[in-house]
Amino acid sequence: MGEPTPALLVEDLHKRFGDLEVLKGVSMSANDGDVIAMIGSSGSGKSTLLRCINLLETPDSGKVYVSGELIRMRPTRNGHAQPEDQRQVDRIRSRLGMVFQSFNLWSHMTVLENVIEAPIHVLKVPKAEAVDRAKALLDKVGIADKLDYYPAHLSGGQQQRAAIARALAMEPDVMLFDEPTSALDPELVGEVLRVIRSLAEEGRTMLIVTHEMGFAREVASEVIFLHAGRIEERGPPAHVFGTPKSERCRQFLASNL
Amino acid sequence: MEPDGLLSGIYRTFQIVWESFPQLLGGALLTIEITIISVLLGLCFAVPLALARVSSNPLLRWPVYGYIFYFRGTPLLVQIFLIYYGSGQFSDFLEDIGLWTYFREAYFCAVLTLTLNTAAYTAEILRGGIQAVPHGEIEAARAVGMSGGLLYRRIILPKAFRLALPAYGNEVVFLFQATSLVSIITLMDLTGVARVIVARSFHVYEIYITAGLIYLTITYGILWVFRKVEFHLGGHLRERPATAVGSKAVVAPTVAPR
Repeated sequence: MGEPTPALLVEDLHKRFGDLEVLKGVSMSANDGDVIAMIGSSGSGKSTLLRCINLLETPDSGKVYVSGELIRMRPTRNGHAQPEDQRQVDRIRSRLGMVFQSFNLWSHMTVLENVIEAPIHVLKVPKAEAVDRAKALLDKVGIADKLDYYPAHLSGGQQQRAAIARALAMEPDVMLFDEPTSALDPELVGEVLRVIRSLAEEGRTMLIVTHEMGFAREVASEVIFLHAGRIEERGPPAHVFGTPKSERCRQFLASNL
Repeated sequence: MEPDGLLSGIYRTFQIVWESFPQLLGGALLTIEITIISVLLGLCFAVPLALARVSSNPLLRWPVYGYIFYFRGTPLLVQIFLIYYGSGQFSDFLEDIGLWTYFREAYFCAVLTLTLNTAAYTAEILRGGIQAVPHGEIEAARAVGMSGGLLYRRIILPKAFRLALPAYGNEVVFLFQATSLVSIITLMDLTGVARVIVARSFHVYEIYITAGLIYLTITYGILWVFRKVEFHLGGHLRERPATAVGSKAVVAPTVAPR
């Protein structure tokens, strides 16, 4: 023993969309408190990797462990795979907070209703308690005055902060961010990054797919560079950004810094 | 017409309308009753039908598709005849299973036909709503651990109902008008009563115009109810309320972000 159980462990993940192999055997792990930034050009598989972890995409092969628990999969006849037990998937998803590029708030619910929805109906938290916690979280992300607003009445940055509060309301073990600032106007990126940075400072375990290189460099404890479905470079930010071994990583950074 | 004749003509018209009005209102009550029962029952059937219609299981999907195709593809009058007169051919069998007491009643056959008809249309309207729920919102629900019944109950159906509401209001108005067909199988609804009065008195214009005005008034009531419901459920579709900052009101943007 001795080794602590990693919050997240991914082993040899493969994923195909038709003829296109998007992930060609990816392994990685995150310990409690790690902030891992995943970078790479579009089509490198970084979003797919993130979405395979909570099974929004079903990996064709490979293993995903969340806090030591293996998500049980079985192969299907057409060469893909499917989860063995949907209830296990639901339970594991409820422990992984997901933040999407396009926010995906439930548009017919107010901000407060968005944040209390899953705690009440998935975790069975009493409503009064869920509301109290939601208000504290909305205060933390800086939109406590907007709790009666519908998503369409908020700016993109406010919507994304509401979405972060919604994910935090589940008290997840790991937060997954899928390009959280890519759909935002440049002047709104900062307010969202500030929130994510404050979460990192609290010691939350996070996986962040991002194009914000400066942010990755400052906040991440580890950076993973993906290229064509494989991890080309990994390590502390100083190493990946400063002295990358892979030629592709150097090219990518040269055109993105 | 002489001026005198014109005045007395108008007077007589009002007299005819006034005298037949209570009977017409009695018919209108039956029309409203049949509409409400069919709409409520039809909606109850439509929800599971719509779910079956979008199911990935062909054994669920295809029979429901056939049912909807039949009720949308044939005239309502033919459906009423089939169930009311058609059931007579099977009266022995229906008697054996204890249903003949229902099927020999025109009222039962009318409500049954209208219910099956509106259930088919409503299921198709709901299907459109279900399939129009934004994929990202469903994905967000899955990501917090919702699936199956919970996902449908909490996210997909509430959203689908809102999306389907304007089209559904249309369907209810359509069904309300269509109830006039039940007068053909002897029911004394608004149209049935009007027909009888006209047959007795030959005051065709006066009576049918009055009946038409009653239909119009009730239709307006239905539209009013749907407007209220749409307003109640549609906060997210309206402009942002103007928020007061200090004494200066901030004008809401006319176009919502995105």
